[in-house]
Amino acid sequence: MNEKVTLPNSKKFFGIRFESIGGLGAHAAGKILATTAVLRMGLNGAHFSSYGSEKKGSVVRSFIRLAPAEKLIRSSAPIESPDVIVVFHSALLKNPATIAGMKAGGVLIYNGSESDEIPEIFSQLPSTTKIIRVDAQRIAVEEKSRPNAVLLGTLTATVPFIDFSILLESFSEEFSQRHPEAVASNEKAFRRGAKEIDRLSNIGKGTDDLPIMRADPVWGYENAPIGGVLPLPGNTVHNDLTVSRMGWLPLFHKDKCIHCGMCDMVCPDFCLVWKAADNNEVHLQGVDYRYCKGCLRCVETCPTGALTREIETPGMADKHRVKLFPELEGGA
Amino acid sequence: MSDVEMKKGAEEKNKQRSDFLTGNDAAALAIRDVNYDVMGYYPITPSTELPEALSMMQANGDHEISMVPGDGEHGAAGICYGASLGGGRVINATSANGLLYSIEQLPVQSGTRSPMVLNLVARTVSGPLNIRCDHSDLYFTLNTGWLILLARDPQAVYDLNIAAVKISEHPDVRLPIIVCFDGFFTSHQKRLIHVFENGDTIKTFVGKPNTPITALDPKNPATFGAYMNDPDMINNKKQHSLAMEAARRVIPEVLHELEELTGRSYPILDAYHMEDAEYAVILLNSAAETAKEVADQLREKGQKVGVLSPNVIRPFPADEFRKALKNVKAIVVGDRGDSYGADGGNMSLEIRAALQRDPDNKTVVLSRIYGLGGRDFYDDDAEAFFELAQNSSNAIAFDYYGTYKGEPDRNPPKGMPPIKAEEVTRSMAKVTKNAETGKLDVELEPLWAMSDVKSRIAPGHGACPGCGIFPMLHQMYRVLEGDLVILFHTGCGMVVTTGYPKTAHRITYIHNLFQNGAATLSGLVEMYYERVRRGELPESSDITFLMFSGDGGMDIGMGPAIGAANRNHRMIIIEYDNQGYMNTGSQLSYSTPMGHRTTTSEVGSVGSGKNFHHKDTAQIFSACHLPYVFTASEGFPEDLMRKVAKAQWYAKREGLVYGKIMSFCPLNWGVRDDAGQPVMQAAIDCCFFPLYEVEKGHTTISYDPDILGTRIPAINWFKQMGKTKHLAKPKNADIIKSFETEVDRRWKRLKAMHEHEEL
Ligand SMILES: Cc1ncc(C[n+]2csc(CCOP(=O)(O)OP(=O)(O)O)c2C)c(N)n1
Ligand code: SF4
Ligand code: SF4
Ligand code: SF4
Ligand SMILES: [Mg+2]
Repeated sequence: MNEKVTLPNSKKFFGIRFESIGGLGAHAAGKILATTAVLRMGLNGAHFSSYGSEKKGSVVRSFIRLAPAEKLIRSSAPIESPDVIVVFHSALLKNPATIAGMKAGGVLIYNGSESDEIPEIFSQLPSTTKIIRVDAQRIAVEEKSRPNAVLLGTLTATVPFIDFSILLESFSEEFSQRHPEAVASNEKAFRRGAKEIDRLSNIGKGTDDLPIMRADPVWGYENAPIGGVLPLPGNTVHNDLTVSRMGWLPLFHKDKCIHCGMCDMVCPDFCLVWKAADNNEVHLQGVDYRYCKGCLRCVETCPTGALTREIETPGMADKHRVKLFPELEGGA
Repeated sequence: MSDVEMKKGAEEKNKQRSDFLTGNDAAALAIRDVNYDVMGYYPITPSTELPEALSMMQANGDHEISMVPGDGEHGAAGICYGASLGGGRVINATSANGLLYSIEQLPVQSGTRSPMVLNLVARTVSGPLNIRCDHSDLYFTLNTGWLILLARDPQAVYDLNIAAVKISEHPDVRLPIIVCFDGFFTSHQKRLIHVFENGDTIKTFVGKPNTPITALDPKNPATFGAYMNDPDMINNKKQHSLAMEAARRVIPEVLHELEELTGRSYPILDAYHMEDAEYAVILLNSAAETAKEVADQLREKGQKVGVLSPNVIRPFPADEFRKALKNVKAIVVGDRGDSYGADGGNMSLEIRAALQRDPDNKTVVLSRIYGLGGRDFYDDDAEAFFELAQNSSNAIAFDYYGTYKGEPDRNPPKGMPPIKAEEVTRSMAKVTKNAETGKLDVELEPLWAMSDVKSRIAPGHGACPGCGIFPMLHQMYRVLEGDLVILFHTGCGMVVTTGYPKTAHRITYIHNLFQNGAATLSGLVEMYYERVRRGELPESSDITFLMFSGDGGMDIGMGPAIGAANRNHRMIIIEYDNQGYMNTGSQLSYSTPMGHRTTTSEVGSVGSGKNFHHKDTAQIFSACHLPYVFTASEGFPEDLMRKVAKAQWYAKREGLVYGKIMSFCPLNWGVRDDAGQPVMQAAIDCCFFPLYEVEKGHTTISYDPDILGTRIPAINWFKQMGKTKHLAKPKNADIIKSFETEVDRRWKRLKAMHEHEEL
């Protein structure tokens, strides 16, 4: 099968950028979409993802550059002004870079739930941007699939030349080889992604394409210590790892805690907060969710059920958070 | 058959199809179809995908190349050298410090005129460590005597991998050859390319290797690598130089032959819009393609600009450059790598040298160092280069492009206050020498009591959820006392804690590449004691020195670690064993258990995971007769902490301590993030990972599943992990048997040592 499709502008590249977290399947989704566009829709294309030394849970961007078959693709640089942006995790919308370069008249799809507030930065978007919300996380959980399946479905419903049945077919083929057991559930998630969408209107206030963003490094050659030496012990405490959690967090129930310290021995992210108690013991106070990646090793280890595995709902982490370093954020 | 029919038959046979492949995929496909005999390799980003793709194909029976994982790149290069002396075809792939670690072997390979192909996936050379693309590694190869082809995109990677074999083996040349392409930009970017439907097309094209004298021909004995003194050496090198000259003729011939087959041409010097160009930009590989796109736009505006980019740089196309630049007013040569202090990057210097031989040439040459460490090259960067060429009169000849000065009051977030020795000297594990046994006793405080000991590592690091490296560190830091200086080998633990300009380490931390950490730390230890002896440092500072390595670092870095052990420096080496090269995406290490799936021991219709047994590092170090060797698991905190407390005692007083600690890797073991405890427990209960210590030569098992009645068959462990699920299939029964037999043999041996004082 090689159905010819036409891009909106035959002279220009069509750019799609996925903004994601390692583990949500953005790279795989980009690969499937681009491969389908090139090998089954008669387009020319390129696909790549941003690589640092990302582990599961850190920021990943995936880029798809498409062109008519006869147009050469030469540049291998990232796509700075995309026609379509797909945001795999709504927490990424706290960072303006996520939507940087959005073209006027483009499409922005994001993984979000109706009950969440509309992200503030959306007001910067051009008023002509089509903003699409899909609760990919919930659908993925319900269908035992992954958000990437849902979001691919959403793309077919919102970008005219991305054909629903062609993409679904190659998506299913991809899984039929390695994970035949996952085909049916992924298909369902894909179909729901194409249907259960909310088109938000009257949100973007801008007129033109959003400007691109290229961040300068913090230090430059005039002030960075020579040799790459870092005289800043432990300054990763300023990081916020909230986006690494994939929907679950541990909840602490003080009444059940015997302060045995077992959870502390297995927590890879040092997020348990302890305080000296009156009786010369040291007592667990709770979890600093700023650093918690939701691995739940602490829950698995706790002998008394004082830590439980919970689905993370909006605001939950802030409500229950106990700060490890109150001084960092000014006040307790 | 008529001529027409024959031609049609050939066309049919040589048919090409479209595919959408990355540069690494494209190289792997060409390698598969050349049908090399032996691949010697060692994983390093971004070239690792190449052996990975080949491993997957091999697991599915798509090729029979013998793939040999080296103990490091130096070893891999040695494997390749040996294999190439056998007369068959040999392939390797590497990048950056991998290349540099093997570089000593490169002149050996070329000097003995042994053809082979090396895919160099260009990456920045450390330090500081950076995994992205520049050409600093490529430039180190310029003087190795190898031929060097450059592949600008995945199509070129495929095509030139085919041509390379034939060029390298040509009887007038017989030199090893590098095919270099850009890391990530080309290696990891999927593009539409054309490949042969039938691998035989390539096999026919490259023909059979023809090595007149081999080391596998006992009837015709020969000496390879004689010792050669001064009157002969220079003549030998003259031959080498003549071979390079012959390559000037052979390379275009082979590329032309390939063009007849593929329809794609590769001139020695790729010239774009150069016919009447007055200004040009000269770049290597992927960036040149971006410049072409911009040249199109500028041409539309009437600017006479062009782009030059060589497809071959060894031999260097000096003639071609001279001709192409005859009427060009000014050029900007962009080098993705500096030749520090030479007043220009390597390409700019060689181009200048080429032009110098044309007395009429008046081209202004500007040299710019750009794109280091993978800095992207955008359209507007290319535009800036063209603009610079057109305004060359006031420009300085040599400069860096795309740097940033910094702002006086812009700084990374502040560090945490240093930890005072008293804050971490709280007797959480009291160590006393037992007068009777001569061994150490440890009394451990309850876990809760430790929970407010100041941590020497800060939260906020970037490891995967559930990663075992950090509970291990946390547990160790609970009991280690006083000031520590630590060194990390390259690996997950290092990469996720020190992403510039941030660091999770609150104490002094050093990284050196994982082939050399033990030597590095031993040097620092000696400096410490020497400066204390000279009175330059207070004796009371009392620093404990620790090195952390992954299991992989104990493959490539084994030599220096054994060296440090034999010299018995006062330091601790900790190997956190997660059973693979996890930082680079889970390739096999020698410590990976047999049958386990990794990306270089793939599972498929014929492949069933790693095909040799796990390395027993603890026993290797035990054989160095150290004061203390132990194994532990981050899943058994109390046992681990007792042993670490002893380790510190011995390392301060008697010498080197080695500890091998099992460390959970949910991502690459294929288990839930919270399954660390049960999975590691199973590894211990099936006796794969026995917990024991060797104290002054005496072995004591710390946990005996036989006695405790917790022993389980290996399959109960394997069933819990994605990487071993396939072993439950009946066809893999032999692997399990072999695994269990070996584990049992080692376990019994350990028990015998436990029982006998003299063993
Ligand atoms: C000379 C050299 N070769 C290869 C690499 C690539 N490399 C970096 S870390 C690593 C794997 C380390 O494995 P291990 O020591 O087990 O640590 P882990 O990543 O599992 O934590 C490899 C192959 C390198 N950086 N330098
Ligand atoms: S493991 Fe459970 S009981 Fe023990 S300290 Fe942690 S939360 Fe409390
Ligand atoms: S889930 Fe528990 S163990 Fe995992 S990071 Fe959060 S607090 Fe630590
Ligand atoms: S890949 Fe494994 S070892 Fe590396 S950070 Fe992730 S969990 Fe830890
Ligand atoms: Mg490892």
